[in-house]
Amino acid sequence: MLKLENIKKSFLQPDRQVVPILDIPHFEIARGEQVVLIGPSGCGKTTMLHTIAGITKPDAGQVFLDGIELTRFSEAARDRIRADKLGYVFQTFNLLPGFSALENVVLGMTFASKKIAPLRARQLLEQVGLGHRLHNKPAAMSVGEQQRVAVARSLANQPALLLADEPTANVDPRNQQQIVDLIKHSCQSENIALLLVTHSMEVAEQFDRIVKLEELNLVVSRLKTGSVTSQAGT
Amino acid sequence: MSVFKIALRSIQHRGFGSWLTIISMALGVMMVVAVLSIHGLVSQSFKNNNSFGYNVLVGARGGGLQLTMNTVYYLSSPVENVPYEYYLAFVDRETRQRELRNSFAWQGMQHEIHSRQLTAAAAPGGGGLAAVMTGRLAEFAFESQQTVALGTDLSGLYHRYTDVAVPLCMGDYYVDEKTGAAFRCAGTKPNFFTDLVLDVESEEKFQFSQGRCFQEHSAEHGFYECVIGAMVAKRCGLQLGDTIKPTHGDPNSANAHIHESPFTIVGIVDATGTPNDRVVFLNIEGFYLMTDHNKPIDEERVLKTSNDDAVEGNAEAESAGIEVDPFADDDETDDVEIKEDKTGQGSAADTKVAEAKPAGVVADKASAKPLGSLTQLPIEQREVTSILVRTSKNDEYSVLSMFLPAQINEGDLETTLDWSTYRPERAQKAAQAVNPVEQVTSLFQLFVDPVRWLLLALTCMICVVSALSILVGIYNSMNQRQHEIAVMRALGASRTKVMMIMLSEAILLALAGGLLGWFSGHVLNAGLSPWVESQTGVPISFFDFAPGIPLGYFPLAASLPADWLNLAISPELMLIPALMLLAVLVGIYPAISAYRTDVSQALGK
Repeated sequence: MLKLENIKKSFLQPDRQVVPILDIPHFEIARGEQVVLIGPSGCGKTTMLHTIAGITKPDAGQVFLDGIELTRFSEAARDRIRADKLGYVFQTFNLLPGFSALENVVLGMTFASKKIAPLRARQLLEQVGLGHRLHNKPAAMSVGEQQRVAVARSLANQPALLLADEPTANVDPRNQQQIVDLIKHSCQSENIALLLVTHSMEVAEQFDRIVKLEELNLVVSRLKTGSVTSQAGT
Repeated sequence: MSVFKIALRSIQHRGFGSWLTIISMALGVMMVVAVLSIHGLVSQSFKNNNSFGYNVLVGARGGGLQLTMNTVYYLSSPVENVPYEYYLAFVDRETRQRELRNSFAWQGMQHEIHSRQLTAAAAPGGGGLAAVMTGRLAEFAFESQQTVALGTDLSGLYHRYTDVAVPLCMGDYYVDEKTGAAFRCAGTKPNFFTDLVLDVESEEKFQFSQGRCFQEHSAEHGFYECVIGAMVAKRCGLQLGDTIKPTHGDPNSANAHIHESPFTIVGIVDATGTPNDRVVFLNIEGFYLMTDHNKPIDEERVLKTSNDDAVEGNAEAESAGIEVDPFADDDETDDVEIKEDKTGQGSAADTKVAEAKPAGVVADKASAKPLGSLTQLPIEQREVTSILVRTSKNDEYSVLSMFLPAQINEGDLETTLDWSTYRPERAQKAAQAVNPVEQVTSLFQLFVDPVRWLLLALTCMICVVSALSILVGIYNSMNQRQHEIAVMRALGASRTKVMMIMLSEAILLALAGGLLGWFSGHVLNAGLSPWVESQTGVPISFFDFAPGIPLGYFPLAASLPADWLNLAISPELMLIPALMLLAVLVGIYPAISAYRTDVSQALGK
């Protein structure tokens, strides 16, 4: 469902120095598969998510999403594909403050080319336990509630892949588990592939497949069985 | 969710900042609307009245513009008057004869004839045929000499160049007791309404929504009839049959006093959209009979002519057994009339003599008379503020008519007063003739148009500044907005979409500011209406729009169909679309900024 081939990405520092941030020979996620991405800060996890989402274009390599070679398209086309096939949950939720919970979810559906009944937004919020908070603005909601709205928004377009960038980093342990459970079960029930970035091993351990992004830009994958394999050679 | 709804939510979220932007915009628009509508409506009122049915104004020498403002627009401070005889220079022979019979000069001449007749009749042997024939020849010679001197057998000097001439007397006001509103009174003749047209091209005339035009004399109200403009009727709640008492002079001055003579309203003029709507039109004969409207004359001369001669003649006639009415009317004036005094108020001679007395006395007596008295003010005691003249369209005279103002301005008119021995100083009153259209045009060219462009330039600058406030408002929020934009981009919004959202935000702010400003501008208009009306005479209500501008005046008009060129569009209707265009222009920078937002970087903030 998702396949990265020979992805390379570097950034130009203010002192004109080129710093390589990604070098991923191969990475793949199957449809409905749930994968956790771990790695030290600054190793390129978020850049990897942005590259998968089409927000950042790699210097080299290919990204295949649901059979479509994302890297071949223009930015506008990538925007469209992102709206249709990807869901995104941010560490800081990134709900728009001027919009109610319901409107935030509907906003996620606004940019997709496929027509989805607005009723789904309400259903999703009810699913995440916020049926009674539909018209509340984010400022009037707790951190946990805000993240649940963000999860609902990411699922609104029935994506093929959900990218979650440290979704539990800013929530308390009780809410952390709720959020993880919500994401897991939602993806499971809708057969959505999941790539979740986290620093928490407690969270990571709850998933069958954990991928570590090393600073050496090699992706290693450890299955729940305990084997660790280099993705570079596979 | 539409782009506009997303923009609206963003505006709502920035509550106070958005309101400041909207209010700033609204203030600018309010100014523009007020300037456009007040200036436009006042200008239109002046220009509308520019097609009045006369092309020459004759009045006292001085400022032509003031004469025009005073007598055409009923504005500005009063001007000097000119002798009534000037008006007679524009009328036909019959009218002139009729008018001149109401003069001391004519009456003096009649007295002289009567005296000679009576003297001849009373002379010893006066009954002889030869003596009668000699006396008659002498009378005819005298009469011919006087007739030539008075010019009664001639048309007015400029009659052949004149289609219509209407005298107008100003100086009085009607002050409504209930509202305190003051309206100008104009003494005029019925031909103001019957002969003048409202629009030269359409030949549209005055219409009466109620009643009729006043008559020079009516059996019911005598000389004291008036008609009122539509606005006077509306503002003061006046109806047919009501009576009004004009105030002499500026009602705000200490010297103003209310005339005792009540005028009865016999007609209400249909609204014309011109300054005539706010005028009380008095019958000129009643106007002259009011206090202070008769000018002092050489009393001794009048008394000598009218009284002594009459008494002397009457005495001689009576001694000869003949009853004499020295002021016998019109056709019989050549002959001695033997009849009874039918007025029941003493002889007409007594009345005329009484009128020759100093102003207050005459007027008091006149106003004390029962309505229906036939007594009129002699023309030597009359003055007019202006004469409205429509020059002849007759092919024979139309070209020469063009030189009429020049002739009058060279002093021709003053020569017509040579015969006026009762008030020789009247001949000193120099007249001028102006073309009101030229006066108004020059007023617009010299003052109004430059001021209009200045005001428009200023208000446009206000609009631009207001529009820049949108830019400032949006730009200041860009820091915060960049993160929002990045989120929307991450959710799949294209660069174009976020650009549209930013532009929509600018347009919505402009729309809100524009509508609020438009409404406030009209509220301001309504609030300023009393002041504008007092300064210009043009009332402005909340619902008055700035007058339309024909499409032909706009750039690129040549590319439009010919039928459209005369289609007038109020600049107010173009204001809000123009503002939105301006908003798009100023919104482009934030929109481009949004377009260029680096999503990865902005999401990391």
